[in-house]
Amino acid sequence: MTSNKLLSVSSLKKSFGGLQAVNVDSLEFSENEITSLIGPNGAGKTTFFDLLTKFQNPDQGNIFFEGENVTSFQSYKLARLGMTRTFQLTRVFEKMSVLENMQFSGSSVKNESISRSLIKGKSLNNFEKELEIEVDKILELLNLSHMKYSYARELSGGQKKLLELGRALIRKPKLLLLDEPLAGVNPKLAEEILDIIKNLSIEGINIIMVEHNINAVMKISERVVVMAEGKIIADGEPEAIRNNENVIEAYLGKVNE
Amino acid sequence: MKDYKRYIIAVSLLTVSFLYIFTSNETGVARIFVNLLTFAGIYGLAAIGINVHFGWTGLLNFGHAAFMGIGAYTTILLIPHALGREGVVIETGLPLPLAVIIGMLAAALLGLILGLPTLRLRGDYLAIVTIAAAEIFRLLIRDFEDITGGVYGVIQFSEALQSLRPNFITNLATSIEVSSSQLWVGVITWILIIFTLLFLNRLQKSPWGRALRAVREDEDAVRALGKNAVWLKLQSFMLGASIGGLSGILLAFNYGTLQVSTFVPVLTFYLWAALILGGVGSLAGPALGAVIFWVIISGTDSLAEIFFENANGQQLAGVRFVFVGLLIMFTMIFTPSGILGKKEELLLDIK
Repeated sequence: MTSNKLLSVSSLKKSFGGLQAVNVDSLEFSENEITSLIGPNGAGKTTFFDLLTKFQNPDQGNIFFEGENVTSFQSYKLARLGMTRTFQLTRVFEKMSVLENMQFSGSSVKNESISRSLIKGKSLNNFEKELEIEVDKILELLNLSHMKYSYARELSGGQKKLLELGRALIRKPKLLLLDEPLAGVNPKLAEEILDIIKNLSIEGINIIMVEHNINAVMKISERVVVMAEGKIIADGEPEAIRNNENVIEAYLGKVNE
Repeated sequence: MKDYKRYIIAVSLLTVSFLYIFTSNETGVARIFVNLLTFAGIYGLAAIGINVHFGWTGLLNFGHAAFMGIGAYTTILLIPHALGREGVVIETGLPLPLAVIIGMLAAALLGLILGLPTLRLRGDYLAIVTIAAAEIFRLLIRDFEDITGGVYGVIQFSEALQSLRPNFITNLATSIEVSSSQLWVGVITWILIIFTLLFLNRLQKSPWGRALRAVREDEDAVRALGKNAVWLKLQSFMLGASIGGLSGILLAFNYGTLQVSTFVPVLTFYLWAALILGGVGSLAGPALGAVIFWVIISGTDSLAEIFFENANGQQLAGVRFVFVGLLIMFTMIFTPSGILGKKEELLLDIK
């Protein structure tokens, strides 16, 4: 594996009953890229995401993260390696405050051990204090500072998307997998989220996202991968994808001349 | 509802029920009170264990009686006791504190064994496994008569605890005409409740407690954030189980004999009733719920007599549970999160 290959998969397959949901021969994601995964509904994008993050187990195939074979890893272990995902339907901790949502995400596994929690030593307190400063910074960035002490369920749909993004950011991921970050978000907020994503990429976080908003995808992606019926049907720069016949066919159906 | 209102309701409920017991009993009020508060304390402590499972972590445990039972049997069999049909006396044993710790560890170990295969699955599987395991446990205890005394139970073990009773407890018990051994168990129970609550309060406000609440809310999100949800659930399960084990030990000392029939499934559901009344997820709620539960259990016979004039004692006893059911209904209608529970953390969704 060459060093600039962040994530790669080989002959990754998953089927549900008779339906071949994902069937990807080979796909590589390089560093310093925003890659978008697009495709019609039911193309297998979310399942592919689930396989990459091990929320589902592939029937066969291998996944490599930074050159290491992580196919047998559990999802939380992958996340610890620096792969953090968000969900299509936002999954914030509704009955916890925004602050607690962020703190939980940013807290280290070591500090969550029962013994350290019980002793509450100085290092734990210091860590929690620094963590809160970090949380404040990210909430500021996401325009959520005024909601810091609110329960997460009091947030609007768009704010929940932001919180989920913030929760991922505080983990300082190497690779961020965003599942429809713009779904159900008003156009103005969508612009803001796009800017944030763009900035994250500039700061060196690698991003793979599933998104239906084609304009947004074309605007910020450096690479677009198109899936249909579980297979990769096109892969390239946004402009090339826009004019690709296979893609147009997958989205609009075959044109009879 | 504001927090202080909940405390006002709690205090007034307690006052009313205590006044009711005072006025409805002409003799032996002190005895009734000591009995009530001791049982309530033991049930409360057990319900606090379930609260760690359900209120904090969202785990449905319907087999708490087994954790109480294994704690009680392990501890009692490790200290001097007499066993079974013949009453075989075993005079040697471990010191009580050590035996109690081993008893609690045994309960935690049972939690680990039950949790390992089931906590990876959805919550209702855990409910089924725990309720079945509790019955298996009880039947095994009944059938392994050589070790556990079977249906004949274990006796003559109280001395290990009662020999530690300070004189002022004995004097107090004599002066208010109550059983000195029960008063001692009651005092120890409530001291242990206070320590347990202080311990849990510290944990609840720690990163660990926060992580448990996150697991309760959404396990998948927890995994996506790099935390091992199964391990967190196991820890919670073991902690709650060991608290259950401790309360089982106290229950054995309160009865003075250890009978397998104590740990029937319905015991678990009494604890759930106490937990729901007091408030799921709140710290002191389960203990309050247990007191109210026991007020109804031990104080409503005279009230029932008013409604059912010709009923016999056994029929009247059944009416107690009608009252428990009614109170749970009213609690659910007017303050669904229980008397001390936070509305914001109301939990009816199961993981």
